[in-house]
Amino acid sequence: MHNKRKIQDNLLKSLTIGAALMTASALFIVFYFVFTSGFSLLSFDLLVSDYKTEQYNTTLDDTIETTMFEEPEGNEAFFSQIYGISLKDAENKDAEAIIVIDYIAPESPFNTLKSINENETVNASEGGVITRISFENTSTALTREGAESMINKLDGGHTIREIIFVEPGGGIRGSIIATLYLIGLTLVMALPLGIFSAIYLNEFAKDTRLTRTIRSFIDTLTGIPSIVYGLMAVSVFIPLTARFNMASGLSIYAGAMTMTVILLPVLIRTTEESLASVPNDYREASLALGANDVQTTFKVVLPNAIAGLLTATFLSIGRIIGESAALIFVMGTAVRDSVYPSQGATTLAVHIWTLMSTEPANVELASTIALIILTIVLILNTTVKLLAKKFDKLGNR
Amino acid sequence: MNVVVKRLVFLSALLSASFIIIVVVFVILSGIKPFISDNEGLGPVSFIGFITRTIWLDGPTFVSNMYGAGYLIANTLYIAFLTLLVSLPLGVLTALFIAKIAGKRTGALLRSIVELLAAIPSIVYGLVGAGLFLPVIYNTALSFGIQTNGGNSTLAAVIVLTFMSIPTLTTISEVAIRNVDLSLEEASLALGTSKTQTHFNVVLPAAKSGIFSAAILAIGRALGEATAISLVAGNALSGPTFSLFNRTATLTTAMLQGMKETTGLDYDIRFSLGIVLIIVILITNFALNMLKKRVGKMHAQ
Amino acid sequence: MKKIILVLTLVFAFTLYGCSASDDTFETKNINPYTRDTSSGTRDGFMNGIEFEEAATDNSLLGDNVTVSAGNNEILQSVKTDRYGIGYISLYSVTNEVKPVSFNGVEPSIENVVNESYALTRPFNYITRLDDDYASEIEKNMSEAFVAFMLSSEGADIINDNGAVSVTNNGYWDDLVANHPVCEGDNSHETINFGGSNSVEGIAKDLATAFSSRCGNVQTINNHTGSSDGFKRTQGDEKDGSNRVHIGFASRPFKDAEKVNGEEYYGALAQDAIVIIVNNENPLDALDADTTKKIFQGNYATWEDVLN
Repeated sequence: MHNKRKIQDNLLKSLTIGAALMTASALFIVFYFVFTSGFSLLSFDLLVSDYKTEQYNTTLDDTIETTMFEEPEGNEAFFSQIYGISLKDAENKDAEAIIVIDYIAPESPFNTLKSINENETVNASEGGVITRISFENTSTALTREGAESMINKLDGGHTIREIIFVEPGGGIRGSIIATLYLIGLTLVMALPLGIFSAIYLNEFAKDTRLTRTIRSFIDTLTGIPSIVYGLMAVSVFIPLTARFNMASGLSIYAGAMTMTVILLPVLIRTTEESLASVPNDYREASLALGANDVQTTFKVVLPNAIAGLLTATFLSIGRIIGESAALIFVMGTAVRDSVYPSQGATTLAVHIWTLMSTEPANVELASTIALIILTIVLILNTTVKLLAKKFDKLGNR
Repeated sequence: MNVVVKRLVFLSALLSASFIIIVVVFVILSGIKPFISDNEGLGPVSFIGFITRTIWLDGPTFVSNMYGAGYLIANTLYIAFLTLLVSLPLGVLTALFIAKIAGKRTGALLRSIVELLAAIPSIVYGLVGAGLFLPVIYNTALSFGIQTNGGNSTLAAVIVLTFMSIPTLTTISEVAIRNVDLSLEEASLALGTSKTQTHFNVVLPAAKSGIFSAAILAIGRALGEATAISLVAGNALSGPTFSLFNRTATLTTAMLQGMKETTGLDYDIRFSLGIVLIIVILITNFALNMLKKRVGKMHAQ
Repeated sequence: MKKIILVLTLVFAFTLYGCSASDDTFETKNINPYTRDTSSGTRDGFMNGIEFEEAATDNSLLGDNVTVSAGNNEILQSVKTDRYGIGYISLYSVTNEVKPVSFNGVEPSIENVVNESYALTRPFNYITRLDDDYASEIEKNMSEAFVAFMLSSEGADIINDNGAVSVTNNGYWDDLVANHPVCEGDNSHETINFGGSNSVEGIAKDLATAFSSRCGNVQTINNHTGSSDGFKRTQGDEKDGSNRVHIGFASRPFKDAEKVNGEEYYGALAQDAIVIIVNNENPLDALDADTTKKIFQGNYATWEDVLN
């Protein structure tokens, strides 16, 4: 009987430890996956470049003398003697066929191509992707026809009209800027509204039915799923911004208004708590010195609740960065390179959604963005914790 | 000047409180349209039909008004409860571990891990689900001879939601467990029961009401989660799906699906889904709260 | 504790019951057909080609086992991962991850589209907004410039490179651009929206990228949701909505109701083939119109009916 108990005990205990291990491993699974899929794409370049594919339309510089080139040693790609480049067939990230420059001779005219529109020089380089080459008196060499065919046409002696390169893009600068805009606009709207509401509820309101109703109405906001906020935003904030001529249709302005409503309950609650933790002695002392209650609130209580306010701000920023469902409805899913608050755009989280909902899904880039988001969340969380510690110390003086 | 400021803060509070009304009113206004208006010649959608039918749209788009969300409601509840079934034990046991078994350092570490899990945005969970779990489910199922649609399945949705629910469950359960009167524990130990026995037969039952609240909160979130599940659920146009390995769809994924595409009835019907979602959440909350009271009464005896 | 285990076991058993275990031969397996939705021009062309016109806009005529997908890529992914799947996509979407089957004895290829021996072909068409229906003069000029670009030799190159067969070539864009002074300025504040057929999306995106680089870096948005939306969002019910579009595309001939505003607003772009695809492990090589129709009607439930 004793043994059966012991076995049962050990079983239960190991289940408990097992559960805790599983929970801990959940965090590692998430970070591990995001890191391994996304780290390779992470670069400064990614953060500042455009999302859309960039096309370069170029021609040869006529002033350059051309000579015949010799095929380099060990060349396995297709080589053009007239132009000194070799091309090969390859596949890009989306498993589409592309033609890639394998080698360029140092004197090749491809080194100094002239851009048609911009009057600048474009350097072709090894690894560059040629999309099409069009000629004067023969059909264009297309990617579909393959590298060999393109080289044959090059060496066929026809005059080149245009050489078209494509740079794949995939940068997230636009989404980063949109996220920053959204955070800024939301904080500008939400902080005053939230702090003033909290001030009213904690400092001035009396315990009447009205106050209790206001409190419960604000609290109910937390139970609503964010996608419903998205629906509400489409029927309220989008027409509102149109009425005031701020925007027509999707916009970051409308997004900021939506996030304000979503953040309100948390903001108000955290602010109330930090106001409540300011000892009453401070208030009484201030009143005793002759200040009225408004002055007391703004000049004495509020400054002492700064730590709490900062916490609330950081929590809000974290929430804004993480929000996706509501913003999909109100800011849209089109990734932009030039971001204007009066137009829609994607935040980092919505950008992940856009990448994952096309077929085939671009898991690598999405993971890179997720990596960035997780890092920011990590930093924000740690900061909040440190602030809480400081806050505690101050409060317990 | 004083009066102005006081009025300003009062108005702020009033405005904050009014948002809930704005949300409810406007969602209802837009969502009710398909049921009472003529929908540009298509005829009103029958409400009873909407909440009972098992096919998303019977007939061609823009011609038929036979929308059905019945199967979506069933799927949503099914997935939410399955999630609770898996995540509640995990969350409560983890909480027990942190509160009673772990040392101070380990406990603090685990608590930070749980906080971090809570802070991760839902879209990242969806990404991990789609990128990691879908292939795993697809391959595992295939080796058992079960066919899945690239891994999109109820199982995938439940796994993703479990990841998202555990932090909430763990945190709140931990608080509940900590709040159990130490004297109860000491009394039990004094009577000769082992620590583990005490935990499972005395502490956990005493923390029941707090754990129940955690469950209610977690279910609320599971019912309302949208983007994460939509990346792993597939897009079932009929249902309901009770098999773990078939594609499914929920109220929220149906709202997200195809929102780029439409105007008219096809667009408005998504607001109606919003109303149904709110109703489902309210009813579930209410039912669970009633259950909690009943369990509380039983326990108090 | 015991109760929990009991419940979990019941749930597990219940859900296992919902799936079928399998044995190993191909023949006994159920066919999983995939189709596009009712707004798709590809579906329209496909159903007409297999002599099942009634099913072009009516899902209830299809078998219960048919799954509706939103685009070429979705069907590609589905058939790629579903051993027992069969679907149809645009020729230029075909990759070596799936297996094309010949139709009525003819292999799907560009040559067979050009020499008109492959029967499942359909046109790619475009449609624009009405002259007085633009938000600004710049928008109008830019749309007209795009149409000119699309029909030039550069446009033809892009269409051909994507695996369709271009049917127009109005000369070099360099010569045409003189008629469109709007392309000389900086247009990065402007946006042109494209929409309509999902099958033309790849071509439309490439055309948009190329056009943007030649016309002041105008921003372009591609939102392709089906051929019927091509007309709807340029001249039809949704032309002023939030999904409005400047140039719409369709992968089927325009219906009379869509041609109502006159010939100057629409035109032909290319010919494209619809290819029936199956999973790479499927032994099937050829189909005819009648068998295909029966598959999508649901009359053939397992691969046995088709492979023999």
